[in-house]
Amino acid sequence: MTSALLLTALLLPLVAGALLPLWRGRRIHQAGRVAVAAAALVLACVVGLLVALQRGETPALALTWIPAAGIRLALQLDWLGFPFLLNVVVVSLLAAVYGWGYMHADARLPAFYALLLFFMGGMVGTVLADDLFLFFIFWELMLVASCALIAIWGEGEQAGRVALKYFIFTQVGSLLVLIGLIALYVLTGTSSLAQLRAAPPVLDPRWATALVTLFAVGFGVKMAVFPLHTWLPDAHSVAPMPVTVMLAAAMLSMGVYGLLRFPLSIFGPLILANFSLPLMIAGVVSQFYGALMALAEEDIKRIIAYSSVSQMGYALFGLGTLSQPGLAGAAMHMVNQGIVKALLFMGVGLVMRATGRRRITNLGGLRHALPLTTLGSGVGALAIAGSPPFCAFHSEWQIFAGGFQTPHTAVTILAVLAPALTAAYALWFIRRIFLDPRPEGLEVSVPPLAMRVPFALLAFLALAVGLYPAPLYDWVMRGVLIVTGGG
Amino acid sequence: MTGDVWVVLAPALLGSGAFAIYLVARLLTSRNDLLALLTALVFAAALVALVPLQFTTGVGHLPAWGRFGPGGAFLRADPGALVVAGVALGLGLLVALYSGCYLALDRRYEDYYPLLLLLVAGLVGMVMAADLFNLYMFCELMSAAAYVLVAFRRHTDTAIEAGFKYLVMGSVGTVTILLGISFVYRETGTLALSQATSAPGPWTRAGLACFLVGLGIKSAIVPLHTWLPDAHGRAPSSISAMLSGIIVQSVFYALLKVCLGLGWAGRDLGALLIVLSLFNMTLGNGLALVQTNTKRLLGYSTIAQMGYIMLSVGVGLRYDVPVAIQAGFFLLLAHAAMKGLAFLCKGVCHFYCDATTINQLRGTATRLPLVAVAFSVALAGLAGMPPLAGFAAKWFILMGTLRSADGLGYVGLAAFLLNSLLSLGYCLPLIGTLFTRKTSQDFGETSASSDFGELSQGVSEASEVSIQISPWMVVPIVALGALVLAIGLYPGPWLGWTANAGVYLLALGR
Repeated sequence: MTSALLLTALLLPLVAGALLPLWRGRRIHQAGRVAVAAAALVLACVVGLLVALQRGETPALALTWIPAAGIRLALQLDWLGFPFLLNVVVVSLLAAVYGWGYMHADARLPAFYALLLFFMGGMVGTVLADDLFLFFIFWELMLVASCALIAIWGEGEQAGRVALKYFIFTQVGSLLVLIGLIALYVLTGTSSLAQLRAAPPVLDPRWATALVTLFAVGFGVKMAVFPLHTWLPDAHSVAPMPVTVMLAAAMLSMGVYGLLRFPLSIFGPLILANFSLPLMIAGVVSQFYGALMALAEEDIKRIIAYSSVSQMGYALFGLGTLSQPGLAGAAMHMVNQGIVKALLFMGVGLVMRATGRRRITNLGGLRHALPLTTLGSGVGALAIAGSPPFCAFHSEWQIFAGGFQTPHTAVTILAVLAPALTAAYALWFIRRIFLDPRPEGLEVSVPPLAMRVPFALLAFLALAVGLYPAPLYDWVMRGVLIVTGGG
Repeated sequence: MTGDVWVVLAPALLGSGAFAIYLVARLLTSRNDLLALLTALVFAAALVALVPLQFTTGVGHLPAWGRFGPGGAFLRADPGALVVAGVALGLGLLVALYSGCYLALDRRYEDYYPLLLLLVAGLVGMVMAADLFNLYMFCELMSAAAYVLVAFRRHTDTAIEAGFKYLVMGSVGTVTILLGISFVYRETGTLALSQATSAPGPWTRAGLACFLVGLGIKSAIVPLHTWLPDAHGRAPSSISAMLSGIIVQSVFYALLKVCLGLGWAGRDLGALLIVLSLFNMTLGNGLALVQTNTKRLLGYSTIAQMGYIMLSVGVGLRYDVPVAIQAGFFLLLAHAAMKGLAFLCKGVCHFYCDATTINQLRGTATRLPLVAVAFSVALAGLAGMPPLAGFAAKWFILMGTLRSADGLGYVGLAAFLLNSLLSLGYCLPLIGTLFTRKTSQDFGETSASSDFGELSQGVSEASEVSIQISPWMVVPIVALGALVLAIGLYPGPWLGWTANAGVYLLALGR
């Protein structure tokens, strides 16, 4: 039963995506609905899997695939993967709904939703894969699908070049990950993640250090932490908004998932201890760099894009602490940050749709014309600045609590100061767009309902998770026990 | 003349088929589709003739046929040769079918199909040859057919030029091989290629150097590669598919067999191959980045892919890792499917839209949707994207290379990674170009940038209509496309096919 749910959750987006190009002619308008229906069914599967996890099961599935190379078609969901899976599926579902209103209906619409589903399928597969080979295939599917979305539907004349840059930068990271994965297999002789975790390999410390470095840099590119971030502002600002939402709110978290799954779960504390301070410092640098760049930007989409660099810095800092609250905070922050970032990007999309402008200097005074957008974006801004009672507060708390468990108090104090800058750009962003006097000649139209509903839902989630974070705490803590070996 | 008759059946079928088809073309019919079908049948028969050998040939048992000595044909099947010959016959079958429509551009069917058969007959004989004399004869048979086929479009001066360049360089290679054979004969007094019992003396070593150069020219080892982009860029696309897909690699296999058979220690040859592969990979990919002609780009990509094969085989020989050699053969197989597919797709664009430069490929997706998809699959595969054949090959090569025991292997590994990034630099923009709509300015001066997302402005009516492709072209393209996907998704059986080849070569080099 649970293995059927696993397989359905994985295959449904892929099959639906493969079938979508059949929707042609007059029926292209249905393409978005098909995609949303598929994503909703996947969400139903995920809920079913949650029930199984709560019962203490570990849904798994293993079939032989390439025996000569020790490769199996193995899927597994555990508590570590679950928050990420839930985040991916919810964000994808809402992004697809948002696309109903955002995308123009033309003959290519079915292909758009098909690629969106492949993108989602890639992320779902990345989380579910229990085999090194399979993990990498989905890891790359995620990249190929998102790159095609940027290349074909990208906004502006640079779309092709931005897509190429995105692809090649990310591919550098992927290759490092690939080397890490294959080296793990060659050194240990097993390609199963569960086995690697159950019986951590005893490796030559030089090899282990090299592998951790490879994984850290490789997944760091996906997380887009400084100085590996340069693809992110371009890709996020050029991609159509539903894709941007998925990139920022779901795909970046795959980097954190990779770090938790590979180096942090597999290698012992002796090896990892050497990486603690570098990761924490890299995280703090990203925090400040992203926030400062967000303050300096004028394009509203790039402001939120740079805010992602900053937010991923928080997560990297949390991972670098290697402490239980730090790791839990980083994983939780991926969910919370996902909600908030999707909310903010959708708000930007609403403003862009309503006014047709995206330079912050040409905007202002939208609070009367767009009250819902103002409210929601305000929630997003407060949440990202880490103010209670919104969701990101809890994860940032955990991350900093983890920081103070390490001997590196000075770095931690620096990290704690970063939210001040975050608050600066977030509040400045709100003030300039919604509160400042309205420039002359700014026409405002009402954005479609399909764009407003997911936006409102996310604003509600940001508050709800902030007020009642207990389930998320619970799931993430059980996941972190897998990483630290307590489970 | 004794031995296992299955060994000689495939080359004999191909050779006699060539004569029969020439006669049919001259006397009975000059219909292209019939001749293509007949040629394909000959290839299929030869392929079937190889099947029993698959079961009888093992590392310890090599079925042979013929009598050793001057003037005697002497062939011996080995696991590696069977892989190379099988790939060549399969690709030849599809190319023959493809030519059933494609050759309407050039006509002269009575020359083309026999030459195609002789090309593969030479190849099969060469990889199975058990002595230097037969190896030389079959290699020349293959090369002679290849020279003519490269210059097949004799009405264009570029094709004549490319063919002539190929001929001159190939002949230098031939003479060098002949010199090498005489050196070897002077010292050992025999031409037989079997496992050497003693270390090679000075004459044999001089001979080995000659083989390295002579066969190196024909297998496009940098810096002896300069003929390849011209030849592969100017030949008809169907022939480019054969040349790039398998001919170059088959000469490399012959090189391995000769060098190891004459006693070149696997460790030393492996180190040399790793060093040479660095140049092949980097130069091939680097120069492919700046090409404007699609087929030249694919030609340079072949040089790079030869580098990957050399790296993998080199690592295997140097560090005694059979899986690395196996991965090299796996890439050979995967590359044949991918590069064959790429050239065949390019041929369709040339046939229907008269597109040769990369910019002229714009709008392929609207006019030839199937070809655009298949071409993209081939290119993405060449760039090593999962879940295609190229990715599986990359995975196995990395798996082999990571077992290296010293710095040289890791230098090769680093170069391999760098190059797999470089290859993205030309494969992705080319895919992008296929899916870019043709804009009105393309009809005049073309601009280099490809903006995927821009909606077409002033698109002419004619370029929007999708063109019906001949089934003679659809079948090979769909078959190869499915193969690229199948090899990538389910590499088990293909990997199994190449398993013995690795073990065999390693045993030869000990």
